[in-house]
Amino acid sequence: MPKEIIISAENISFEYPTDDMSVNHAAVSNVSIAIEKGSFVAILGHNGSGKSTLAKLFNGILVPTEGKIFVKGMDTSDDDLLFELRKTVGMVFQNPDNQLVATIVEEDVAFAPENLGVQPAEIRKRVDKALETVGMKEYASHAPHKLSGGQKQRVAIAGILAMEPECIVLDESTAMLDPAGRAEIMKTIKRLNENGMTVILITHYMDEAAEADRIIVMNDGKVEADGAPRKIFSEPGKLSAIGLDVPQITELTELLSSSDIIKNKFSFPKGITDEDEAADYIERLFDSFGAAVRPQ
Amino acid sequence: MKVVPRSERHGHNIVAKLELENVSYVYGAGTPFCITALKDINISFGENKITGIIGHTGSGKSTLTQLFNGLIKPETGVVRLDGMDIWEDPKAISKIRHRIGLVFQYPEYQLFEETVEKDIAFGPVNMKKTPEQVKLLVEQAADFTGIPKSMLCMSPFELSGGQKRRVAIAGVIAMDPDILVLDEPAAGLDPGGREEILGRIKAYRDKKNKTVILISHSMEDMAKYAEELVVMKNGTVIMHDTVAEVFKRTDLIEETGLSVPRITKLMKRLKKDGYPVSDSVYTVEAAYNEIMNVLNKQ
Repeated sequence: MPKEIIISAENISFEYPTDDMSVNHAAVSNVSIAIEKGSFVAILGHNGSGKSTLAKLFNGILVPTEGKIFVKGMDTSDDDLLFELRKTVGMVFQNPDNQLVATIVEEDVAFAPENLGVQPAEIRKRVDKALETVGMKEYASHAPHKLSGGQKQRVAIAGILAMEPECIVLDESTAMLDPAGRAEIMKTIKRLNENGMTVILITHYMDEAAEADRIIVMNDGKVEADGAPRKIFSEPGKLSAIGLDVPQITELTELLSSSDIIKNKFSFPKGITDEDEAADYIERLFDSFGAAVRPQ
Repeated sequence: MKVVPRSERHGHNIVAKLELENVSYVYGAGTPFCITALKDINISFGENKITGIIGHTGSGKSTLTQLFNGLIKPETGVVRLDGMDIWEDPKAISKIRHRIGLVFQYPEYQLFEETVEKDIAFGPVNMKKTPEQVKLLVEQAADFTGIPKSMLCMSPFELSGGQKRRVAIAGVIAMDPDILVLDEPAAGLDPGGREEILGRIKAYRDKKNKTVILISHSMEDMAKYAEELVVMKNGTVIMHDTVAEVFKRTDLIEETGLSVPRITKLMKRLKKDGYPVSDSVYTVEAAYNEIMNVLNKQ
């Protein structure tokens, strides 16, 4: 059975207007993508590859200069549908300090549903549920500016969840966080995805992308590669040619499998990203060479 | 855990480039909202070293960097540059700021001049350098940060994010400071951009023998570029040692809300399962060599 498509981009291009008419550079050029409902998609690309532009096109912040994007069949260039569109696709940005508007966490989360004209009793329900989902319920009456970066981003996500969207787009939302903050956000979005939410994650971190079901690699405004993480990371040369890399674990197994003494004796699967899986294979490699295991 | 300052570890005759002794700092002192940001810090930074500072958000890293060049004054304790208290003459503190160059997070938002050249020249002009000296300093700084000559006459606002970042760093390098302090210089850049910036900072240190202090959340970048690491937690220094020694302490690192590089996790697992590998390995290259060593012995 074919999966339901939530976002469908058909031959879209986007050019930022410039003062100088001669140097119009397409940020996105002739891209066609279909995002399946309930999937977890990571978008990779170097700075200026067009990935953030693509994200903004998904919820109508930008409208393609050519081609069309449909979100659940709604044309993003139709102004009358804009409200409905923003309710369907919510967006979380990079800097947590630029996204929080209220002085109390729960008021911040209530901001969007209030604007959408949701009834007060319903708002209360949604705010509680959203804060619970991101694990910030006990901070409901705290001041947002006193939270850590990871907590602020979780509040920003809760603010989006309160609109009850079907898809959430995160545009480098972990870039400014420390490792613990990044882990909090990754855990939160994975849980959302398990509960059926479509997640689109734009990131520079290969390890985060490795956790998605599908990776879309952007380069010069075009889709350079599209597939499962294992497939994408199995071609490190292609990625480094466009300013990206593979996770360290993938790099190591790749180096090992191409070394002279291993090449004909042992083969690693392509595109391993998980350290435990890599350890399993390296232990098998050691055993096949008869490497001694030291008594514990 | 007691942290032994480098100068003591290596004998008393070595004067540290930059040293903090019993430094504490409190925000909002004397008010009901006072928060202790730093408690009794003792660290010294060796000359010509790249030292990384790691710690969770709110651990005191940024407060620490502001103490280095006198943007804030310690509540108690002393900050010494080449053995001299930087606050000895408070009126001369701006001279200290010329000697310890601080590059803030997302420095590209601080560009303001009409041209890239003017922006880079801002520091040396303020230091009353002659026009010839300024020209030379700007050229050298542009060279170190990989800014082509053709870009010097452009407006900084026409540049890409990565280019702007390099212009901002060049502006600090142009002051020719003794110590370069960078707060998350590679944040928000793609892997190619990260490598370019950090590689250039390392090359700058190698060529000019400067002391570099690097703050980053990326353990992978630290593994690759830092030589020593300072680990901060809740306003205190809990560890200061070589990168290898710090990453050996996975337990401590994870307790502070940080993580060790995945390569280190992999090697620890191999060691735990009884294979004869070292677990103080934190780069892909070192892990490869370690594994190949085991195979070559067979």
